[in-house]
Amino acid sequence: MVNFTVDEIRGMMDKKRNIRNMSVIAHVDHGKSTLTDSLVSKAGIIAGARAGETRFTDTRKDEQDRCITIKSTAISMYFELEEKDLVFITNPDQREKSEKGFLINLIDSPGHVDFSSEVTAALRVTDGALVVVDCVSGVCVQTETVLRQAIAERIKPILFMNKMDRALLELQLESEELYQTFQRIVENVNVIIATYSDDSGPMGEVRVDPSKGSVGFGSGLHGWAFTLKQFAEMYADKFKIDLVKLMNRLWGENFFNANTKKWAKQRDNDNKRSFCMYVLDPIYKVFSAIMNFRKEEIESLLKKIGVTLKHEDADKDGKALLKVVMRTWLPAGEALLQMIAIHLPSPVVAQKYRMEMLYEGPHDDEAAIGIKTCDPEAPLMMYVSKMVPTSDKGRFYAFGRVFSGKVVTGQKARIMGPNFTPGKREDLYEKTIQRTILMMGRYVEAIEDVPSGNICGLVGVDQFLVKTGTITTFKNAHNMKVMKFSVSPVVRVAVEPKNPADLPKLVEGLKRLAKSDPMVQCINEESGEHIVAGAGELHLEICLKDLEEDHACIPIKKSDPVVSYRETVSEESDQMCLSKSPNKHNRLFMRAAPMPDGLPEDIDEGKVNPRDDFKTRARYLCDKFEYDITEARKIWCFGPEGTGPNILVDCSKGVQYLNEIKDSVVAGFQWAAKEGVMAEENLRGVRFNIYDVTLHTDAIHRGGGQIIPTTRRCLYACLLTAAPRLMEPVYLCEIQCPEVAVGGIYGVLNRRRGHVFEESQVAGTPMFVVKAYLPVNESFGFTADLRSNTGGQAFPQCVFDHWQILPGDPCEAGTKPYNVVQETRKRKGLKDGLPDLTQYLDKL
Amino acid sequence: MANFTTDAKICIERDLEITNKQHVYEDLITRFDILETCKWITDNNYAKVCLQFPDDLLNVSAAIYEEIKTRTNIDLYILGDTSYASCCVDSVAVMHVKGDAVIHYGHSCFTKSNIPVYIVLPKTELNFDVTEKLLLENFKLDEPIQLCLFYDAEYEHSKDKIAKFWFQEYPQSYLAFVQIEESDKRILGRIIKNKKDEDVSVEFLKDCICIHIGSRGQTLFNFTVSIPALKWYLLEPGNNRVDILEETVWFKRRRFLVEKCKDANVIGILVCKLAGDQTKDIISRMKKICKVNGKKSYIISVGKPNVAKLANFPEIDIYVMIACPENDLYNNRDFYKPIVYPFELEVALNSNRESFYNYHVTDYDELLPGKRHYCDISHVKEATDVSLITGNIRETKIQSVEEGSMDLAVKQNWALENIGQNLQERSWKGLEQKLGETEVKSAEEGRKGIPLQYSNEPE
Repeated sequence: MVNFTVDEIRGMMDKKRNIRNMSVIAHVDHGKSTLTDSLVSKAGIIAGARAGETRFTDTRKDEQDRCITIKSTAISMYFELEEKDLVFITNPDQREKSEKGFLINLIDSPGHVDFSSEVTAALRVTDGALVVVDCVSGVCVQTETVLRQAIAERIKPILFMNKMDRALLELQLESEELYQTFQRIVENVNVIIATYSDDSGPMGEVRVDPSKGSVGFGSGLHGWAFTLKQFAEMYADKFKIDLVKLMNRLWGENFFNANTKKWAKQRDNDNKRSFCMYVLDPIYKVFSAIMNFRKEEIESLLKKIGVTLKHEDADKDGKALLKVVMRTWLPAGEALLQMIAIHLPSPVVAQKYRMEMLYEGPHDDEAAIGIKTCDPEAPLMMYVSKMVPTSDKGRFYAFGRVFSGKVVTGQKARIMGPNFTPGKREDLYEKTIQRTILMMGRYVEAIEDVPSGNICGLVGVDQFLVKTGTITTFKNAHNMKVMKFSVSPVVRVAVEPKNPADLPKLVEGLKRLAKSDPMVQCINEESGEHIVAGAGELHLEICLKDLEEDHACIPIKKSDPVVSYRETVSEESDQMCLSKSPNKHNRLFMRAAPMPDGLPEDIDEGKVNPRDDFKTRARYLCDKFEYDITEARKIWCFGPEGTGPNILVDCSKGVQYLNEIKDSVVAGFQWAAKEGVMAEENLRGVRFNIYDVTLHTDAIHRGGGQIIPTTRRCLYACLLTAAPRLMEPVYLCEIQCPEVAVGGIYGVLNRRRGHVFEESQVAGTPMFVVKAYLPVNESFGFTADLRSNTGGQAFPQCVFDHWQILPGDPCEAGTKPYNVVQETRKRKGLKDGLPDLTQYLDKL
Repeated sequence: MANFTTDAKICIERDLEITNKQHVYEDLITRFDILETCKWITDNNYAKVCLQFPDDLLNVSAAIYEEIKTRTNIDLYILGDTSYASCCVDSVAVMHVKGDAVIHYGHSCFTKSNIPVYIVLPKTELNFDVTEKLLLENFKLDEPIQLCLFYDAEYEHSKDKIAKFWFQEYPQSYLAFVQIEESDKRILGRIIKNKKDEDVSVEFLKDCICIHIGSRGQTLFNFTVSIPALKWYLLEPGNNRVDILEETVWFKRRRFLVEKCKDANVIGILVCKLAGDQTKDIISRMKKICKVNGKKSYIISVGKPNVAKLANFPEIDIYVMIACPENDLYNNRDFYKPIVYPFELEVALNSNRESFYNYHVTDYDELLPGKRHYCDISHVKEATDVSLITGNIRETKIQSVEEGSMDLAVKQNWALENIGQNLQERSWKGLEQKLGETEVKSAEEGRKGIPLQYSNEPE
């Protein structure tokens, strides 16, 4: 039975200090959804006995079938904390006086790297993160990625060591060994945290610490968990030691001598680590007694730990009994609840330091202050982080977080898409919010209004947003910052309907698909092909399945996966390129050159961007990339789309009327940067320099018509004379496997042009981690190939890392880039063969 | 002097584009239907007649002029260098000389004109042996699918022979004859008939295999995209081969452009044809469609369009070109902004039209009221939609007339705002005085020469 009502939840929403918004994040298969079940069952939503198997937050059929989370799922729950635990919450902004109820808005996120955009979307609307680590496999690549993202978003982490049952039952680790494993994981996590934040930062101390109770241990599958606080409580009375002091004693280099009853800081022959002695030993005893069917011992143990079996459980033995005993002794829900309530920040605390990360506008306007103080009376500011499909096909709930003000059913609000700029009308809609709803896993509940600090869904705004957006009632509000994803949509397939007449349905389906996933891109290309682009093969597989079954509902033909390429140059143009305008009276003199390493990445990441002050940008470019400072100040624009990783630099001196043609030259540059000369792919990492321009003295003869096409021709000539190259996307690939399988990995990688750059053993385990770069184009079928070559023991995680030049000259027949260019040209319906320099280059 | 004249070297080295198709014709009188032409002129009592020649026939124009002049002794004018395309009748030029009628030579697109026209088709001898052999080899009579034969206008003079052979060998099939006069069933200058000489509607061809005798070109291309048939084959008697024609790639690209029309906010209606009343009708129709969908439209007439001329209007998102369907600019990728057919704009913006089409309507005439592909324009509801090209939301903003006056005022402001925005985004805002910002310098020698090459430019 659900032990709370919607009205109770609504009541809690106003008590903003007793709200915890949190996401559960981890590497794939570390047991997030299973662990989440413990909390869901504590809330009475599912039966306790079925917790760990239901995976309540895996709402889709394919999630249940494949045992993998695909979409992040939100659920709101109400809990009460006991009086004795409330005292642990010391910050007055972390709890309302005389209120022991807590509202926990939890988002369970997928662990597979292909779906990490879902994690990003989840992190944005939460303030805390429960990081789950499988204590058998330790901290993995995805653990690091999501943790890094969390820290960057100023999300406070707590740690949970999952799958202790495996450590005990399968690996049969000694207690000291297990302690060392735990210790190492805590250390690894803290190293990552320390790399991306420091204790003096705005979040305060971020590190996790078992002795403070911010690290949990247990088994989500069996439904038991504890923190040192639970054990300290058991012993505090007996030892007459203060709870907090005891917790400190129970972790780290603290040893107890049972004979002398003395504590020591060093290991000796006759003393024992306190954690092993007081925490692990009792658990080990229970395990061994039950698993070895020692009846009498079990009985006495049960008495000691204060567990009385219910009548229906009395007949159980072995694993089943173990589960019941452990779950009754150390209920996972309780331990988790305490960790969350005590250690994760309330919106009041979190929004204070998150505002500057969240809001694009001035930090002292009404919206900014509303966010900062989490004020329900301030103007509404809500960020929609993703769209959740409704049962009504083609419609979506806009899911997000109210950061300031109150969102009310029937309220008129401004809906601002990511392209909105203050003062302009673009991407701005003033519409009524039809309904506000509460997301409860697979169910939704209508609710009148939602005040700041809460997570909710909206009905009726989905038509005005593609994926994300800001909803506000403040007229001068700026956008909330758009999310940055750790993955990119680099794998593409072309789709078409099996029956050509179904095309409109396909297009409609693609539009819905574009909304339903935070990162997937559905593109109608210049050639007319419809492309679906995703992070990896699994991501695409799921997207295409959704497209076929849910969104378009028609049979679909899909091409083999392909990657998109980028065009670049490898040298400076070997000559000054001149192009004349059609009337021959205007002449442009330019050269292309490759950008120094790292600059395109800096532009991608926004470290160098078109909105920077040109002087600071020039200083940065000068210091880091040794650009000439005067030239660096005269960057005319970035492209394509005004933001891409190519630049146009004015290196000319004393040219008359130059400002007048700037817009036309920029337009021509945007055009050429979007459609490169080789295969009309985007350019990347090219710097174009304008050295001289001759213009007709009459303005009429140097209009856009003369300049725009000429600029494009000149840029094309620059590219062709600068040793053009193609770039392909490359995955960073991390593979975990036992030592015997390492040889097989090398074989597979070699065949696929991959190269290993790191190989190491995971400390304390027989597992090896191999890190390699693998061209995305070679990654199709990689997982299956790897499994068959390693007897199914190696499991890769691939994430887009960088662009790399595809070796070979695309202008030379027979090379790989040449073939790629020709294939692309054919697909796009362009002329066969190579572009002809004489078409673009003129002579005086 | 070098500053005033072009360098001689440039003049000599400059490439000129000349199509080298100058033929010498021995028998002008039959080849160019001189006698029939003269009869047509005298029968109709025309006093002033223009002879319109394409560029490649200009060399015989004088001879033809002489032949006709001696036979009729009326005022004759030779028209060359037509303003848009030589396949269309240049009625504006005719009106300049107040001509009564036009004799059109060379390749024709058979579109309607408001001046009497006599079309003299080019003539090529058809190699019957090869054609018959190829037909019989490739198309079996016993197949259940019906056939339809098209032939190039240059074989019109041997149409009787073709028809005789065709209906003898394939009695169940159809033959598309060249039809110069306007009629209901005419499509792209052709009319389809069966063996009994009965007109057949073009819809019958849906289940037919169509074969075209002739060569590749815009005419055949228009057939393949606008006449729905099971398959299209090209039979080239000269090359002794039969090819299957498929334009799926082209259709994909055009569908992309239809989407692009939906994305566009400002549409340029590019007028590249002046003859005929239907030009005015289609322009006003295009204007209306844009208005109903809340898009701004501008009428642009720049003579024969080229890349430079159209790039002078950077604020225009897409052009819809009103021109002869034989025009090949629609597929040119060099333009800064793409050019679409009127039909495509209709598909994009006329919600009454099927959004999916298997075949194209290249001839805009067909879109007008009373014609085969006419479709009502209804009012559009305000709606939003995701554009798969930009990945953004696109909105249909409607300027509705029925609503209250207050509303109208608000929305007009929107339009104003939009224009303002376009200009705001330009960095060049007009002459910059920069008072006090430039340092005082003594005058120095400036640039010398003519725009073609200034003396201070690097060689």
